[in-house]
Amino acid sequence: MGEIVKLNSQRSLRRDPGERESIREFLAVMLAGQTYGVELTRIREILSPPPLTAVPRAPAHVKGVCSVRGQLITVIDLRSRLRLEQAPLTRKTRILLTENAGEVVGLYVDEVRHVLRLTEAEIELATGVFGNDVSEHVIGIGRPPGHVLVLLDLTSVVPR
Amino acid sequence: MTDPSDKAREDFFSEAQEIIETLSRNLLALDEVHRQNGTDPSLINEAFRAVHTLKGLSSLFGATMIGALSHHLEDVLDDLRLGRIPLTDHILDVLFKAVEGFGRALAMERDSTQERTPSFIEGLVAQIRKVAAAPGPSVETSSEYDIEPGLLAVLTEYEEHRLRTNIQDGLKLFRLRVRFDLVTIDKGLEEIKERVKKIGEIITYLPTGETSSVDSIELDLLVASTRDLNSLSAELANVDLAIEEVPRRPRRSQTGQPEARPGKISLQPDVVAAGSIAPAQQVAGGLADLTGSLRSVSQTVRVDIRKLDHLMNIVGELAIVRSALARLADRLRGEGQRQSATDLLRLHRNFDRRLAEMQDGILEVRMVPLGQVFERLGRVVRQISRDLGKEIRLVITGAETEIDKLIVEELSDPLMHMIRNAIDHGIESAERRLTVGKPAMGTIALNAFQKGNHVMLEIEDDGRGIDGQAVLRRAVQLGKIGGEEAKDFTRADILGLIFLPGVSTREEANDVSGRGVGMDVVKTNISKLGGVIDVHSDDGIGTKMTITLPITLAIVSALLIRVADNTFAIPLASVSEAIGFDDAGLRVVDGREVMTLRGTTLPIARLERLLSLSRSTSPPRRQYAVVAALGARRLGLVVDQLVGQQDIIIKPLGKSLDEVRGFAGATELGDQHVGLVIDAAALIDEVLSTSDVGARAARLTYG
Repeated sequence: MGEIVKLNSQRSLRRDPGERESIREFLAVMLAGQTYGVELTRIREILSPPPLTAVPRAPAHVKGVCSVRGQLITVIDLRSRLRLEQAPLTRKTRILLTENAGEVVGLYVDEVRHVLRLTEAEIELATGVFGNDVSEHVIGIGRPPGHVLVLLDLTSVVPR
Repeated sequence: MTDPSDKAREDFFSEAQEIIETLSRNLLALDEVHRQNGTDPSLINEAFRAVHTLKGLSSLFGATMIGALSHHLEDVLDDLRLGRIPLTDHILDVLFKAVEGFGRALAMERDSTQERTPSFIEGLVAQIRKVAAAPGPSVETSSEYDIEPGLLAVLTEYEEHRLRTNIQDGLKLFRLRVRFDLVTIDKGLEEIKERVKKIGEIITYLPTGETSSVDSIELDLLVASTRDLNSLSAELANVDLAIEEVPRRPRRSQTGQPEARPGKISLQPDVVAAGSIAPAQQVAGGLADLTGSLRSVSQTVRVDIRKLDHLMNIVGELAIVRSALARLADRLRGEGQRQSATDLLRLHRNFDRRLAEMQDGILEVRMVPLGQVFERLGRVVRQISRDLGKEIRLVITGAETEIDKLIVEELSDPLMHMIRNAIDHGIESAERRLTVGKPAMGTIALNAFQKGNHVMLEIEDDGRGIDGQAVLRRAVQLGKIGGEEAKDFTRADILGLIFLPGVSTREEANDVSGRGVGMDVVKTNISKLGGVIDVHSDDGIGTKMTITLPITLAIVSALLIRVADNTFAIPLASVSEAIGFDDAGLRVVDGREVMTLRGTTLPIARLERLLSLSRSTSPPRRQYAVVAALGARRLGLVVDQLVGQQDIIIKPLGKSLDEVRGFAGATELGDQHVGLVIDAAALIDEVLSTSDVGARAARLTYG
């Protein structure tokens, strides 16, 4: 079984009860050289990619299915969803497990970096800068000191 | 995880469901007896008890609809069992409607969709109240019979009613004195009840209070029977009990005082005199409590099917551990550690065996008898036949045949639909039947039996059969087939058309089976369960639908195949054989590749093209055709390699893959790899009905 990062422990270490209302935590991930942020509370688990089985006739953004501890999971290619160019897997490729509409799906990312804590002030709800097909998957832009990252809306990234 | 109160609520629903099913069973039995102009007080009493329990439960869980229904129903049943009102067809109808009402109310309460009491409940309650007897003066306790007032004092109203009825019917009364061991009293009493039931009726039983030892108890049973003392004694000869006849004396002026007569039967005079006796039912309840502490009455537990699925998943994972063990043993042997390898292999074999047993055990737990769904159908038959004024006899065989719980659940709607069709479209009116020389009463047979890894279900009626010309006309009218084409259709082709959407066997619609939305839905539902449906119908003689179903959905035997670097599993249930394949034997008919297999034409589909697979190497020279067969339809799927047979657990694909057709799910193949499971039924449908919907399919299939 691949490397599994348990997120709950990390989160509790970083949690500061006084600031909780105004702080949102995002996981910084890399896709085609650009940094994206996904809301940490939505991520169940981070996995090294298990062997994947392609599903013929499936939509292009479905990478395939895999089994995680007996559970069947559909893996979605975020690059394809965000109209980014395709690239082969690397040592750093990870799968984020997230639950959407009762189904656990896996999301391919090139690399998982770190957790970022953003205040509301650091989140810019500007979706107009992106093309139509991408903007619907974006919450906004995160601008913590020294970073710029695109914040993804996981609910819309996973097709229904 | 689930909230404990949720669990209690869930338990309530399943218990309520069971009670309603019991009630329905009792009513059906009662209906049967009633039709032969008889009556069975014990059935009415059981129905009363069931409703009474339901009333108590529903008030506990705030199920107001069920509560209201059972409250009024209880009154009617009470009137019935006490003989205040006679059992009539109308009352039976109302009772059956109430059972239906319970079913609907239960579903509503479960989903909590309804805040107010819906109107159908109010309507039902009104109907029920109408049949209940007006509250009259309670029947005077008769003192005509020669039984001590002491006993009369402890009889419940129902027991008193039964006593009176039996005496009026001229039955004799007997007293049976039996001693029971406290440990085994439940069983002992049940045995006696069973035996006595055949020769009479137990009116009541009471402890005598004359127990000589601490671990036994003596009961007096008051029994009414048509037999005389000798015959009764003979019947119960091998039971250790004392029988006495309660002497009947001519009607006399009663004093209300027990008389000291020699040989007189005394039922518990001491206790009665002390004024401390509880009503008989409470005494019986007390006994149950007493023994309940020694032995649990029920040995059954209810289990959520998802828990079983979870166990099955674990078994699947253990199977992966098992194959890892085998590989480890091989490696050890390769490294020259022969002894360890042998030991490990032995462990592996043992593990393997136990795992298989465990798998079988879990599957067995999932199995339920088909009788569950048949009972519901019995109710449907009764209801519809009354609505349509047709007399129908339902003959059921094989109700004990077991099948996976999930399949049973999914079966009830399609079966109900087919039964409706049979009654409405199939069975003719009584007059019509008589003129064609059939008995006035129509027969619908529901047969179930196991055949290998499948369960076969037949729904057969002796009605008019399917009107082929009408079906054909309708199909042409709907544009499903061309008028010219229709001329070539054989009877079998035509019958195949009833599974197309919109095609009905009847011109006009009605309440019962609607218009033409039916058999196509039935067929879809059945194939979702991995089953097939076939129809056979003879003009004027009847129609028979045959459904073939897998026994369980959880584990299936599958053929693993490889094609264009992909491994797929095809459930063996849908494979009839695998044969060598090469292009030489191919012909093209109607733009479709076919080959000849033992004199018949087999349509061919290349799996790699069908699924648009890309291939890195050229296909092997020798390929195989896996012949998928569903009912009478066959399709040869061309594959590169046959890997072998394996038992697999099919897991459904996630919701995001709902749109993808052709796969029944996926399964773990070991080594963490997942293989897709081919849905042969879907592929057959797809390939054989790509154009000209029914026509080509039907011709290739049935021709």
